[in-house]
Amino acid sequence: MLTDFLLLMKQELLLVAIIFILVFIKLGSKERSNESLLNAINILLLINLIAGIFNSQTGTLFGDMFNTNQLFIFEKNILNFGVLIISLQSYDWLKKHKHLIEFYLLLLSALLGMFLMLSSNNLLMFYLALELSTIPIAALCNFDLEKRKSSEAAFKMIISSAFSSGLLLLGISFFYGTTGTLNFAEIPATLNGNALQIFSFVLLIAGFGFKISAVPFHLWTADVYEGSPISVTSFLSVISKGAVVFVLVSVLYKVFEPLSEYWYTILFLLSLLTMIIGNLFALRQQNMKRFLAFSSIAQVGFILIGISGQSLEGTASVVFFILIYILSNLAAFGVINLVSSKCDKESIGDYKGFYKSNPQLTWVLTIALFSLAGIPPTAGFFGKFFLLMAGAAKNNYLLITVAALNMVIALYYYLRVIKAMFMDANENPIEKIKIPFQPKLAMIICVAGIIILGIYSNCYQYIFSLIK
Amino acid sequence: MFFTAIDYWIFLEKAILILAVVSISLVIAMYATWAERKVAAVMQDRRGPNRAGPFGLFQPLADGVKLFMKEEIIPNVSAKFLFVMAPALAMITALMTSAVIPWGSSVHLFGRDISLQIADINIGILYIFGVISLGVYGIMIGGWASNNKFSLLAAIRGASQMISYELAMGLSLIAVLMMTGSLRLSVIVAQQSEGFFNWNIIYQPLGFLIFFICALAECNRTPFDLPEAENELNFGYHQEYSSMKLGFYLFAEYINMFISGVVMATLFFGGYDIPFVNEAAWGNHWWVALLGCGMLMTKALFFVFLFMWIRWTIPRFRYDQLMNVGWKKLIPLALINMVITAAVMLFFSK
Amino acid sequence: MGVTAILFWILSSLALLSAIMIVVSKNPVHSVLWLILVFFAISGHYLLLNAQFLAIVNIIVYAGAIMVLFLYVLMLIDLKKIVDPQRSLWIKLVGVATGCCLLLVLIAALSKADQTTALTQTIGGNIGLVENLGKILFSEYLVPFEISSILFLSAMVGAVVIGKK
Repeated sequence: MLTDFLLLMKQELLLVAIIFILVFIKLGSKERSNESLLNAINILLLINLIAGIFNSQTGTLFGDMFNTNQLFIFEKNILNFGVLIISLQSYDWLKKHKHLIEFYLLLLSALLGMFLMLSSNNLLMFYLALELSTIPIAALCNFDLEKRKSSEAAFKMIISSAFSSGLLLLGISFFYGTTGTLNFAEIPATLNGNALQIFSFVLLIAGFGFKISAVPFHLWTADVYEGSPISVTSFLSVISKGAVVFVLVSVLYKVFEPLSEYWYTILFLLSLLTMIIGNLFALRQQNMKRFLAFSSIAQVGFILIGISGQSLEGTASVVFFILIYILSNLAAFGVINLVSSKCDKESIGDYKGFYKSNPQLTWVLTIALFSLAGIPPTAGFFGKFFLLMAGAAKNNYLLITVAALNMVIALYYYLRVIKAMFMDANENPIEKIKIPFQPKLAMIICVAGIIILGIYSNCYQYIFSLIK
Repeated sequence: MFFTAIDYWIFLEKAILILAVVSISLVIAMYATWAERKVAAVMQDRRGPNRAGPFGLFQPLADGVKLFMKEEIIPNVSAKFLFVMAPALAMITALMTSAVIPWGSSVHLFGRDISLQIADINIGILYIFGVISLGVYGIMIGGWASNNKFSLLAAIRGASQMISYELAMGLSLIAVLMMTGSLRLSVIVAQQSEGFFNWNIIYQPLGFLIFFICALAECNRTPFDLPEAENELNFGYHQEYSSMKLGFYLFAEYINMFISGVVMATLFFGGYDIPFVNEAAWGNHWWVALLGCGMLMTKALFFVFLFMWIRWTIPRFRYDQLMNVGWKKLIPLALINMVITAAVMLFFSK
Repeated sequence: MGVTAILFWILSSLALLSAIMIVVSKNPVHSVLWLILVFFAISGHYLLLNAQFLAIVNIIVYAGAIMVLFLYVLMLIDLKKIVDPQRSLWIKLVGVATGCCLLLVLIAALSKADQTTALTQTIGGNIGLVENLGKILFSEYLVPFEISSILFLSAMVGAVVIGKK
């Protein structure tokens, strides 16, 4: 029993252990330098990642409240990996920050919330885990303590997430009213598609939509992304979005399978809107963070196409895409993070002539943007390709055509940034940046990942084998 | 159909009981003001009130008449409705607490078993907490509606003080609840009535101490009387009040004192149990219940005296000290007390 | 109509009326006071459902603590300086229209809801009593209960960091 508990909840327990270590370090009176703390934490996160990979078991715990399977474990490992990368990239920013431990405490509790959300087998637990994965982030948004924008971002985040979880909770309570159960295993049998169930289901989707910033629910995204510290922005856009997408896939496919004709329509509309509006707004952004915010909204549109496929390929392509998306987006954010923490420059205009002063960083950003745009041979191409393949299974060619057109628009604005970096002249360019070891390591991993996954794509088969 | 099934006598019974409890509370509060002055006089080596009646016993009546006769002033710029409502709210919340307290064992009269408890609800303690937590509105609304800086400051101080000390109070009670296993006050008293050594104070001295300190703070008594600290805030949250509205505030404070004395006696000192005596052996007579009730009053009045004693002995806390004591001392202490109690109970239950 | 039904209608209308007054009140302090009234009405509903623990905790936590903090903040702000933003008529109209649409959809959905399958199993209607609730909370819902503790810890840490700057 106890070994079961320890092995099944291994990844969650590890995180809790790290959180407690951090609390005790904070409470202890001994003064430690930020550098040594950061190194220690990064090592802990590395241990966490490695320990998560080996010796995993599947099963359920606590009377069906908590379940885990190979796919969930893999997804959690992806998230662990992403958090490690973000932690490495934030080194430069956190070195000077006075609330370093609290930063990690909140970050890891949010991650813990995501893990529990993935493994939850009950709507109540799912809701609590979702809250645990958003409330700490709202506090994190305020971690640029001197900047007003950062406070504004935190405020917008907490208000909009409170609103969305209010909708979600209303949906859950209606659901409980019509089905009489909160347990995921029992819900499908009670779904009969009556009006109230569909209404509550729409509310649930709205809650999800807020978290992944699908279009009618995206209004908070740009402001929050812009105001937050870049490390938090990257966490929000990559990890938090990824986790909710993972959950969305498993919940839609397993729990709401009987309602699939309804949610197919919803996903169809959402993905059309998300792609088009995300892309159109991305076109006219001048701030790098806002630009990436809207580009990430557009990416969600593509993810929704994959989900709408409703097949094993759908799941596999979404997981695969999120992995690639983590690598590419984090590579881009890594560069922006460095530039912002060294020179405090964030607008696209500042990046003119970036190649002259910082060729290495330019190449990293270029590869990342290529991957985001989906240009072969980077991994992003295959990610989008599999997504569209999965979506095409439904023979909805309108959706696929719009997606293809949107890829072209996306290519334009990604190339605009690349052109600015390589070709445009700038009188006041960003000076030569010395890259510290940790961010450099993170970028190398990301770039290597993008290229390797683009050339050698056994990874997709591996994910596919996990689902079976 | 439904209405005929109700035992209508119970309405009469409860109405009489409510009337009795309220009037007794009011009388005791009245004489508590007299007692306060007498205690103060003794402490300061004075005589205290001695003009109106023997030993100044009619002094509270004279005070009451004076308050009634005073001119009623409502400031022009205040929120009028709230300004009038606030003292009433303070009074209501002070009196409402008494509803769940078992004032004595049940009495057998006119062929009926009459319980000396207005409402024997199964969440009695939580009810008391609910009412206490509402008590702060009287202060807050009054302070705000007066539209006076001092009043507002006092109201805000009062609110933060009461919220902070409610936490420690609740935590200290959890240890008691673990031992009693019930939130019903009648059960808690019945468990203690078996003998002096069943009183909760013997097992929970630390819990009682914390509870007592928090009760002082909840009643805004010295050393926690920051909301009405005269020398900093003139007269505190009721500065703009005059006439009987002021009287209500002052009265509510004394009723709160009395009721918190009763609650402490009920929770920790056996309620209406007479120590060292097995009153259950005397049978189910009305005078036994009355004797028990008197015992409860004696215990409660002792606490009221203790409150006064403390008031004239200890100086007031500074605001930061107040918060430090509440958050950094009492809450951890209460938590430790809770954990130790749980551990001991777990150990002995094996 | 039994006593329960009469009480239900009284409490519901009280709750709705106060909820409307929250929105309508010009003075935020009055809004908060109306909100407190809403909590009382809701606690009354809990009592009708035989959930005494929930009812009283609702009063202690929401009416007694959270609303006090609301008032606390509002009283410290100079309310005269905050001008209510004047929205254009169009936005107001659109808001009313969407609200009515939502109401319509909700009513339509609820009217079609199947009531026979809607009854859920509770422990003989006594799930709201302290004993039953405690047992359920510490057996079946243990994990969510523990998760909420981590949630509160992180929320506290976040609030302290933001507050301390």
